[in-house]
Amino acid sequence: MRLSLLICAATITIAGCSRETPPADKIPQSEEGAAEGASATQGPDASRAPNPLRNVYFGDLHLHTRNSFDAYIFNVRATPEDAYIYAKGGTIKHPMGFDLHMNSGPLDFLAVTDHAEYLGVVPAIDTPGTEYSKVPYAKDLFGKDRATVISAFSRFGASLSSGEMLPELTDMSATASAWRETIDSAERNNDPGEFTAFVGYEFTSAPEMRNLHRNVIFAGGDVPSMPYSALDSQNPEDLWRWLDERRAQGIEALAIPHNSNGSDGTMFERTMWNGQPIDRPYADLRARNEPLVEVIQVKGQSETMPLLSPNDEFAGFELMTSYIGAAKGVTKFEGGYARDALKRGLEIEDEVGANPYKMGFVAGSDGHDAAGPFEEDNYFSKAGVLDGMPALRGSVPPPQYKSWADYDAAGQATPVSATWASGGLTGVWAEENTRASLFAAMRRKETFGTSGPRIRVRMFAGYGLKGLDLATDSGLREAYENGVPMGGDLAGDGDRAPEFLVIAMRDIRSAPLQRIQIVKGWTDGDGKSFEKVFDAACSDGGAVDPETQRCPDNGASVDLSTCAFSQDKGDSEIKGEWTDPEFDPAQNAFYYARVLENPTCRWSTWDAIRANVEPNPKLAKTVQERAYTSPIWFTPTNVR
Amino acid sequence: MSAETPASAKAKLTAVASRAAREPLLQFLAAGLVLFWANGLLHGDEQRAPADSIVISKGRVQQIADSYRLLSGRMPSQTELHALVDDYIDEEVYYREAVAMGLDADDTIVRRRMRQKLEFISEDANASEEPTEEQLAARLASHADEYRLPARVSFRQVLASADARGARAEADAVAFLEALKSGAAPETTGDASMLPSAMPLTTQQGVASLFGDAFAAVLFAHADDGWFGPVASPFGAHDVLIVSREAAREPSLEEVRVRLRADWIEARRRAKREEFRTRLRERYEVSIDWPDLYAQTAGHAAAGAAGAE
Repeated sequence: MRLSLLICAATITIAGCSRETPPADKIPQSEEGAAEGASATQGPDASRAPNPLRNVYFGDLHLHTRNSFDAYIFNVRATPEDAYIYAKGGTIKHPMGFDLHMNSGPLDFLAVTDHAEYLGVVPAIDTPGTEYSKVPYAKDLFGKDRATVISAFSRFGASLSSGEMLPELTDMSATASAWRETIDSAERNNDPGEFTAFVGYEFTSAPEMRNLHRNVIFAGGDVPSMPYSALDSQNPEDLWRWLDERRAQGIEALAIPHNSNGSDGTMFERTMWNGQPIDRPYADLRARNEPLVEVIQVKGQSETMPLLSPNDEFAGFELMTSYIGAAKGVTKFEGGYARDALKRGLEIEDEVGANPYKMGFVAGSDGHDAAGPFEEDNYFSKAGVLDGMPALRGSVPPPQYKSWADYDAAGQATPVSATWASGGLTGVWAEENTRASLFAAMRRKETFGTSGPRIRVRMFAGYGLKGLDLATDSGLREAYENGVPMGGDLAGDGDRAPEFLVIAMRDIRSAPLQRIQIVKGWTDGDGKSFEKVFDAACSDGGAVDPETQRCPDNGASVDLSTCAFSQDKGDSEIKGEWTDPEFDPAQNAFYYARVLENPTCRWSTWDAIRANVEPNPKLAKTVQERAYTSPIWFTPTNVR
Repeated sequence: MSAETPASAKAKLTAVASRAAREPLLQFLAAGLVLFWANGLLHGDEQRAPADSIVISKGRVQQIADSYRLLSGRMPSQTELHALVDDYIDEEVYYREAVAMGLDADDTIVRRRMRQKLEFISEDANASEEPTEEQLAARLASHADEYRLPARVSFRQVLASADARGARAEADAVAFLEALKSGAAPETTGDASMLPSAMPLTTQQGVASLFGDAFAAVLFAHADDGWFGPVASPFGAHDVLIVSREAAREPSLEEVRVRLRADWIEARRRAKREEFRTRLRERYEVSIDWPDLYAQTAGHAAAGAAGAE
């Protein structure tokens, strides 16, 4: 009591000595405008006029902050405002105390996509005086004992798995205020011409833990008063109908599915939610609302995998083959990967006349630290205190073990975060860096995804493209006039085989490029689909072997003791013309480009070298970073 | 109750009283009362309120009713309100008793929340403070380095591609340079690439993120006009023409007003928080009895433990 009087006396000059508790809605807010720091270095510049031949912009369409229920439990306290500071090239803190900063410079755009379910609720539970803080497990959620925390936290996972809202958390006021914060910080940080901030959120549907997550990205700043969440309905069809209704009110948005690799085959099914085969209205509804798919992020790539693409020797890259948040292996890979979905789409189109899976490619980080770990040599994973240090993510043996042999002998399993990748980035070809221009590009799918490096890639298909140089303005202008860019539809011209032009440029902070490949998928007349990978352009003056359709090995290597890679192998820029040697003018087909870098050290190898220990023998030591363009779809016309 | 005679009730009360007098809780409460009374003497009448009286103000009832409305979407009925107020009284009674018994003292969560609350209060008091023009200008002057706008250049570049020309790239770039100096059009000289042939005003960091650090360093160190080169990058050998330069400069207050204001408020808040903490700490004499094991390396041991978990 004496102490309280003393403190009262000390406080009196600052706050008065009130007996009232602070109002419940006083959640400490981040300071306005703190993110101005990064962008203030570049003033307005008249020469940054819209470019009709389109510039490339790099950004992250998938990022979480403290407002996500899981991020807060991972001790993340960084706000959406902090996320923009990081994206604009600034420095923020990891929950374990170290600095987070991108070596490759600022991004051009960002969407903060916190989980809509329990948005802002866990921070509210941890705020004294709120009604939320009275839930009986509040103390367990923020205690020191890991097992107690996990047990208290598991009720959120169970709720998302069942789709039932926890009855004690039906008050939506914390969600409303966090959604407001999401919108306000995006509005504040959107800087037309310099930096685009999209308002977004994650629709976290996971029926029985099968991942059906989507990110919803709004075109403008005028957005619904509340996000539509998986606690409203786990059925993505309901989300699409909600998006249709918003569109009718003039609020434009799209949904981007991600981590189909953790869906156990349910992301791209042949059937609808009610179990009936996909029909035309479903295909239209889906294609209208989901023109894009996220092909790679920290929790692995969802392009394809070796069991689905046995003849693709580059498919075994950053695979995640387990459920998300559950120690359960995926058993069904069909329906869980984008390439397979594109093929299914063609099959379904043959049958019902519309393609539900006509998706362009993007990529993101899914970072939960308000920051994406895009660089292998600057890696911090994605889940705060769960994996912020190498010993927590399986790249360095924990201190009580002398070696990996010791670790294995003790029966310790490799943590799942060891298999995670660096964050992906979305590249967008657009006239200027504004919401309208970038969103339009996303709508027409003139986008590509990368595994993290800022690889630039363009692809065009059409007739009369031969001899055009995509490195020149005149070549680009003619390519746009006579062909379609990535994401487009190409109608056949009799029996003529279309011409493809591809060009790619390396990221100066990553490795030179090794090759550009074209991935083709097609259907025969009988509703069966196929795929094949062709090398289209090789580095180091190499030519594609017409037998194997592969470039010669360019001999690039990595020194695993230093991570230094060959400086004289690979190209800074690769370009090529390509025509399909197996072209059949009667077949529906899609073509997308995949660009491969020379091998470089994986983040886990960087971690091990820095700790002066042997890299974990269970993990790949090197990766071939890559970029994937949106497909171009070929539709036959005037067939025999 | 009703069966008791006044005499037996009185005897019982006496027994209870004498037993109670030996209870640590009551002794504690009595000591508290004495302190409260002493405090009243020192600080005047407004401090004096009997420890066993609970006064529910109109404002408090209104607050209880309002928070019910927030949760349920309607005002409470008379009966509900009475029950809510009654529950509040119970809460207050239990709270006071629990505090008196010291139940809050060894609870990590309670302690942490008390600290949070106090921190909120101390920060809250400053949250609405707005800086004056003079204060903004002073901050800009005293933190000039933080707000300095970095140098920028705009330039054209012509590439002799290492991919296409290999070891000849540098010699070819020298030849391109001669041609450019004698008036050749840059658009038709050298190798086309995805690199921009002209860059608008860009910082050194911006140039480096596209062309590499070495290339950017050469450009920002170069002071002369006209085409020069070759400048090496991983793409090959470049000839460069600096079109315009903008030296690093101090911004006007207007250019950085939004950021200045935010930084001022944050700095103010941090200073107040720190000042408050220091003043509190001054009131306590702290002595730490380090176990022998940690006596030498207390700081390091703590840092190690945090990292390992």
